[in-house]
Amino acid sequence: MSVPAEASLQAVRAELVAAAAYAAAAGLPLDSRALATENLRFFVTFENSQGERFVAEFDCREYPLHPPTVEFISEDRSERGTKRLYPNGFHPTPCICMRYNRKAYNEKGGPHADWRLLDWRLPTTNGIAIDTLALMVSDLDSKIRQSAGRMG
Amino acid sequence: MSAEQVTDGHGGPPTVTVKIQTPRGLWSMDEPKDAKKRPKYPISTKVEQVIADVRSVFNFVEEDSKYTLYRDKEALEPQRTLASYHIKDGTLLVLSVQGGNA
Repeated sequence: MSVPAEASLQAVRAELVAAAAYAAAAGLPLDSRALATENLRFFVTFENSQGERFVAEFDCREYPLHPPTVEFISEDRSERGTKRLYPNGFHPTPCICMRYNRKAYNEKGGPHADWRLLDWRLPTTNGIAIDTLALMVSDLDSKIRQSAGRMG
Repeated sequence: MSAEQVTDGHGGPPTVTVKIQTPRGLWSMDEPKDAKKRPKYPISTKVEQVIADVRSVFNFVEEDSKYTLYRDKEALEPQRTLASYHIKDGTLLVLSVQGGNA
């Protein structure tokens, strides 16, 4: 099963209204300028407690049937997924180990064989279900604000 | 009394009106349209009450999640009052919502 790129684009654009409002209020630069059917990506820059910047890429192919792939990348976007690009406090794979991240699933090489992609809207534990792009931004911002240093 | 700490016009305690951005929308004096509460508070109100109210407006019912109110980069302590932070009328606050960890 797959989601047409046009459908994903519409879903992402619709949700970005709330995500962008949240990001703006929280002081998080959000870049969706290149968003298109052939490029279903947007970027959010976070800061940890020491003011270090971390850029997260949200790759929304197959969204909303499947969650985005959320990955930390370098500010110039030439490097991705290395430990030095991750804030402390995340899974040492490295990975954002949440149901809203496609990379966390075993079928995508992640640590969770016990999760199914189709269930991505379930709560990761007993907390709130992180089931929108705005909530993903908020969850990441909350965790990164409290962290210090880099993973590698 | 500063401009942001005005009385309600009826001799009541000073109040302050804030706006709160959440991942589910903005809470203000006119948004969302159907909200049963509005973010206008006596300045002696504790931050925890504001968090409880904004959660109820946007139906953030999960107790195991972490809810924090921020003013810019500053996390507001739940037990402190709005007055202790010198919150100005019209200040935009942010409700941060954190889910669990795997």
